[in-house]
Amino acid sequence: MSFSMEEDEFFGEKVFQHYCAEFIKHSQQIGDGWEWRTSKDCSDGYMCKTHFQIKSGTLVSHPETSAHAQTCLPMEEALESPLDDSEVTETDTATEVIKYEYHVVYSCSYQVPVLYFRASFLDGKPLALKDIWERVHECYKTRLLQGPWDTITQQEHPILGQPFFVLHPCKTSEFMTPVFKSSQKTNRNFNYITSWLSIVGPAVGLNLPLSYARAASWDE
Amino acid sequence: MHYPIGLLFDLLASSSALPWNITVHFKSFPEKDLLHCPSKDVIEAHFMSCVKEADALKHKSQVINEMQKKDHKQLWMGLQNDRFDQFWAINRKLMEYPAEENGFRYIPFRIYQTTTERPFIQKLFRPMAADGQLHTLGDLLKEVCPSAIAPEDGERKNQVMIHGIEPMLETPLQWLSEHLSYPDNFLHISIIPQPTD
Repeated sequence: MSFSMEEDEFFGEKVFQHYCAEFIKHSQQIGDGWEWRTSKDCSDGYMCKTHFQIKSGTLVSHPETSAHAQTCLPMEEALESPLDDSEVTETDTATEVIKYEYHVVYSCSYQVPVLYFRASFLDGKPLALKDIWERVHECYKTRLLQGPWDTITQQEHPILGQPFFVLHPCKTSEFMTPVFKSSQKTNRNFNYITSWLSIVGPAVGLNLPLSYARAASWDE
Repeated sequence: MHYPIGLLFDLLASSSALPWNITVHFKSFPEKDLLHCPSKDVIEAHFMSCVKEADALKHKSQVINEMQKKDHKQLWMGLQNDRFDQFWAINRKLMEYPAEENGFRYIPFRIYQTTTERPFIQKLFRPMAADGQLHTLGDLLKEVCPSAIAPEDGERKNQVMIHGIEPMLETPLQWLSEHLSYPDNFLHISIIPQPTD
């Protein structure tokens, strides 16, 4: 007995997996680090990426650098948010390495992709939501701060079961539908995942190189 | 955990006598495994998030979105203060469906088993078939969790439990959703091994 999906559901799980596969193909071409993971007990899965951000505590001698200088790996301007004084360490060589993990999972309830993320220090100690805030670029902070618990909540990862922060998906359909509709009119190469991730990712420190926009779509 | 306490009991301790003795820890919070609950606001946000998701499934979010913020607040306050009438005044709207339909669009449910890494099974499932026949609890399990229902010739290996009782597998899912959902509007179903006594 199988139950077929509704016709008006244009973003079903299979479509999601297809856009992810295309996205990952381009990621592999440019070494952007995204990969697909299948769940052990089922055919569903998710896309994930890990990146490490390294921050130096202080730079002692160089006169042109500020006391809060930091190097980010990979180089992303959006991450250069100013640190609190409390984060400047005393020693010259103290570095803070933060591991960020981003997962793109399909939500069957909202029929859209959802961004799950978490961050931890190398010793495994997780970052709290407020620590993540501090690393969000100013231009996104205002909107997110208006109701952080409305847009970001902590939830169980639906496949792994561990706590992750989640960008709430209830508005995704609202802002993605015009993008999808206009792409159909102009016949541009369209990858839902690329467009969606380029909109929601930067608010939480995830940036996409521009080459994704030029990548071939699955029609070619 | 942020799971309803009744669900935790069914899933982990259903064979225990009441009162349920639990051990409370004050050190070494397992950050990687459990969600924190730093404040009541977080719990409220989590609860509302579940209610919204349930309505996305039942009504494409139409009912919850038509409500005002004060209605959402009333739902939470009714639950928090154990005022059923206050809660139900709002929640009953989430349990209605258009006259031309025979039920919700999809049924909000989650199936829990302690034996899997995946925290729960949740999929799209309609309350009735294309021919109008109401789907039952048994139909749901057969489709999304067939291992829960033992073969007809064998002894049932598992109990299927909601709110501490085992509803008959012939029960229509639409009815269960309207009457046996938790306050967050989800049917939280536990699959546990048959007790051996």
